Amino acid sequence: MAEISLAVAASHAPGLTGWFDRAPEEDRQVVNEAYAALRQAIVESDIDVLLLIGNDHVANHRVGSGIDFTFGLADRHHGPDEWFKPWLRVPDYDIPGAPEVATALYDRLRGTTGVTVDGARENLRFDDNVSVPVTKLGLADLGVPLIPVLQNCTIPPVPDERACYAFGAALGAAIHDGLPGDLRVGLFGSGGLSHEPGGPRYLEIDEKFDRWWLDLLEAGDHDKILAEATFDRMEEAGSGGTAELLSWVVVLGAIGERPCTSLGYVAFEDWRCGVGAVRWDMTATNDTAEVK
Amino acid sequence: MALDYFRPQLRTNDLVQDLKWNDDLRARFETDEESVLAEYPLTGEEREAIRDRDFRRLYELGLHPYLLSQLARLVYGTGEKAGTSAPAMALIRSLLGDEYDQYMANRGD
Repeated sequence: MAEISLAVAASHAPGLTGWFDRAPEEDRQVVNEAYAALRQAIVESDIDVLLLIGNDHVANHRVGSGIDFTFGLADRHHGPDEWFKPWLRVPDYDIPGAPEVATALYDRLRGTTGVTVDGARENLRFDDNVSVPVTKLGLADLGVPLIPVLQNCTIPPVPDERACYAFGAALGAAIHDGLPGDLRVGLFGSGGLSHEPGGPRYLEIDEKFDRWWLDLLEAGDHDKILAEATFDRMEEAGSGGTAELLSWVVVLGAIGERPCTSLGYVAFEDWRCGVGAVRWDMTATNDTAEVK
Repeated sequence: MALDYFRPQLRTNDLVQDLKWNDDLRARFETDEESVLAEYPLTGEEREAIRDRDFRRLYELGLHPYLLSQLARLVYGTGEKAGTSAPAMALIRSLLGDEYDQYMANRGD
């Protein structure tokens, strides 16, 4: 039975690479330390493959496609997409994929949950969703194969917090039951915190929401999280962007209730996005995990 | 909510995606925007709003906000302005209209 050996989540705001140095030293330090902790967690967990779940940003499907989750099944994943290069200012990357694992998960999940699941054999277009974490983690050096899972967080009807939690639970079950015995799998939720790209509140960060969300995660009551941190509540804290936190909800669904630690938070205006990161403890015995 | 106006049928959504995905089309858009617009079955309203850089109108017609921000980048964020806040500011100015000056004054920027 394969196991989930790592569960983390972090923001992927393009400012973290494109205009990182505009922030004060103390803010940069929080972000760098958080990402260093995430990198260390990947090394220590000794994972064989990393699933990176993040908002697609309308970059791979037509707006009317109705596709909610897309598994990247390619042999290798390279980026960033040409259009985003001047914006993100990250080195090009070319990372091994895990087509067999990705295809096994895709096969198991399509048609079995309330969301529409797709699989892409060709390279997907990656923007900040994958490029920022890959760069900040230095993932290419670690040699860990990557499975990108791109998600619809912004095109109505968006799979809401419960749909994403249920998808996560199905993903967790597929990892446990559908993959080879000793495989160690990592999950990375990529996105958030509060921001409203392209909307009237483009310049605003809802720090109060962000800190409330991180506190909720640390408190760790999934019933409460699902009841209070709804898709609508996320939209109120920044439409079309904050709900990228649904990728974190997928991770919650996959792992069940586990101790969670915040790795830091920054609200720097010019990044136009609240920036935070968390790590869940996957070493403790999990007696309380259940599908909600 | 910002997503309430969104309409997937609005063809400008496809146009902005194509501009992001197709380097040749994008280059042509920068030098001869009219010829690119002529190739798409846009309504008169969409065409006019794109020509006028009226982001608020496009937003109300149903362009996805994220693609709206990308269109602002296409128009105001290429070349030397790549990676600057110029596109975001142009977009906010259009979205807020008459409220823009007061909004910015309240922010203290």
